[in-house]
Amino acid sequence: MAPQPPELEFHIVLPTRSRRGRRFAAALTDPRRAAGPHDHVAQVARAAELAGLSGAVLPFDPGGAESFVLAGAVLRRTRYLRVTAEFHPAVATPVYAAKLSLSLARFSADRLDWKLADLDPVLARAHGDFLDGPERFRRAAEFLTIAKGVWSGGGFSFRGRHFEVLDGGFGEPPLAGHPLPRVVLSGTSPEELDLSAEHGDVHLFDPWDDIEAATERLPGLRYGVRLRIAAREDAAEAAGLDGDLTGGYEGVAAALREFARRGVTVFHLEAAPALEETYRIGEHLLPLLAKEDAGVR
Amino acid sequence: MSVDVYWRIGTHGDQPSLRRRVASRGGWAPLGPGSLAPGLRGGRPDGYSHLEHMGDVARASESAGFVGGLLPSFPFTDDPWAATASLAAETSTYRFMVAYQPGFLHPVQAARMSATLQQATGGRLVYNIISGGGGPQQLWWGDKVDHDDRYARTSEFLDVLRGVWSGEPYRHKGRFYQVDGAHLPDELAAQPFPEIYFSGSSKAAIEAAGRHADYYLSWLEPFGPLAEKFGQVREHSDRDPRFAVRIDVVARESEEEAWAEIRRGWDNIDPAVLQDATGDSIGWERSRSFVTGRVTGHRDLEVEPNVWGGFHLLRGGPAFGLVGSYQQVAARLDELIELGVGSFILAGVPHLEEAYRVGEHVLPLLQRSTR
Repeated sequence: MAPQPPELEFHIVLPTRSRRGRRFAAALTDPRRAAGPHDHVAQVARAAELAGLSGAVLPFDPGGAESFVLAGAVLRRTRYLRVTAEFHPAVATPVYAAKLSLSLARFSADRLDWKLADLDPVLARAHGDFLDGPERFRRAAEFLTIAKGVWSGGGFSFRGRHFEVLDGGFGEPPLAGHPLPRVVLSGTSPEELDLSAEHGDVHLFDPWDDIEAATERLPGLRYGVRLRIAAREDAAEAAGLDGDLTGGYEGVAAALREFARRGVTVFHLEAAPALEETYRIGEHLLPLLAKEDAGVR
Repeated sequence: MSVDVYWRIGTHGDQPSLRRRVASRGGWAPLGPGSLAPGLRGGRPDGYSHLEHMGDVARASESAGFVGGLLPSFPFTDDPWAATASLAAETSTYRFMVAYQPGFLHPVQAARMSATLQQATGGRLVYNIISGGGGPQQLWWGDKVDHDDRYARTSEFLDVLRGVWSGEPYRHKGRFYQVDGAHLPDELAAQPFPEIYFSGSSKAAIEAAGRHADYYLSWLEPFGPLAEKFGQVREHSDRDPRFAVRIDVVARESEEEAWAEIRRGWDNIDPAVLQDATGDSIGWERSRSFVTGRVTGHRDLEVEPNVWGGFHLLRGGPAFGLVGSYQQVAARLDELIELGVGSFILAGVPHLEEAYRVGEHVLPLLQRSTR
């Protein structure tokens, strides 16, 4: 029997900013709350849950709400979605990032995943991170070594250039014994690929990357692609839509199958407006892929 | 200014009473019959987590009249930020007091998480800033900074946090932190800055508290030493400081009933624990320093009326709490209000049921007792 093709995963990238409607005329009662993006983010996550997507991604967005906090809310309101929180390695000590994440995992039947961001220098300095050059990736490697080390047991010690732990780790029940979050990494520089080879579970590409050249250096990982997507009934209806991948449902499904043929099994889909597009993806696009690829979910 | 009364949400599971140290709630004891959140259904884990129980405690104490709940943070607890993020939408007036050590988060990240929670809750986040002791405990967390430096870091951390919160690009170069162009997005910067409860008994702590604290928070101690500590904080404060006290409570209809509850727990303590004078580290040492004479029975730890220093023997946590009738406990709390206390963090085991008891029987007596 031929081996089962790996299951394709579709994750919706969630909004982190408010969805603003226009102001009502003064004569109209306006019941809308100025509560920020929280209700909206939860609604999109619920849409992804009901539409049968695999997961949802909370991006690190300097202009939006914080990803761990949103991840907690999203995990609480869903049952099946894997929820990926994106952050950069200077947000916290690796022990604390692991501790916070472990609680989110405990609260959600282990549905939390990590995506590690590398910030451009100006943005990094605004977030208190002045480390330059390849040393950034060494720090990321130390961060992941410690975060995974303390997660996986007690008596963990590590002394690196950037972080140190002595006799740490969540070695006692009920904190012990949880599966590690999946680590999603990205980038095509040699340093980024090395980091991913050592610590990544999923390597995420841009659609225009030379995926084959990079995956040669990343044996054993799953490969993903980030796509701004917009699909409609037919290509004519989709004309005018903005995105990396636009078109009729059939055409978009064919393009996704082409990525799958190249080894990509994880899709991080950005679509706007997120709620409506998530329903569209679930109701129109995923069934086409399910039809020909038993592995899809 | 009115007095805020908080409850505590256990982040380390809970036991069904003070009678036996079995944390069957939240998964800290081996899963078996009688376990709750997670429990067993048809012989299998029922899929509920400690979060469900924490949510129940939050809702119970909210309806019982508490303004909010403290979520403590220790190495083997669940994380207060994670719990607050998960439960933010499930209460309506309840404030979440998140305990954290500044060194573990970058202040920009702390600002982002805090403002996001403020936005999600309509401004119901409160800080319990702890700066931590020294030694091996801190290296468990991966924190290398020394004890006294830790308060200097806490001060700088809070300065940066406030600077970032302004919404204008902020620049800072200090001993511990450097940022360039940091700011929160407008929607987040518009959120109110959380109230700060500040703990720590050392000189360095009290100095830092004077600069940053909205409330100086102490564990319960005998009232004399507590008043002295408040005096020291007043000396080091630019403004008129407010005080808060964390207090475990065993309050019952009658005094006898309350002590009988303690007695049942006391009788189950392993005698080896009682003989070991070093018992439970700081809590035990501190309680011993207020206890004169030999301890042969539970009432020997009652260092002044209703102030009992043996709670750490019956559950994890600080030593002192109040034991007595509803009237007595309310009267002692009123005395503390007269010493300058403007906020309480009360707790009882089990947290869920005792929230209702204290809310229904003790809180209505406060500031009404006749003396």
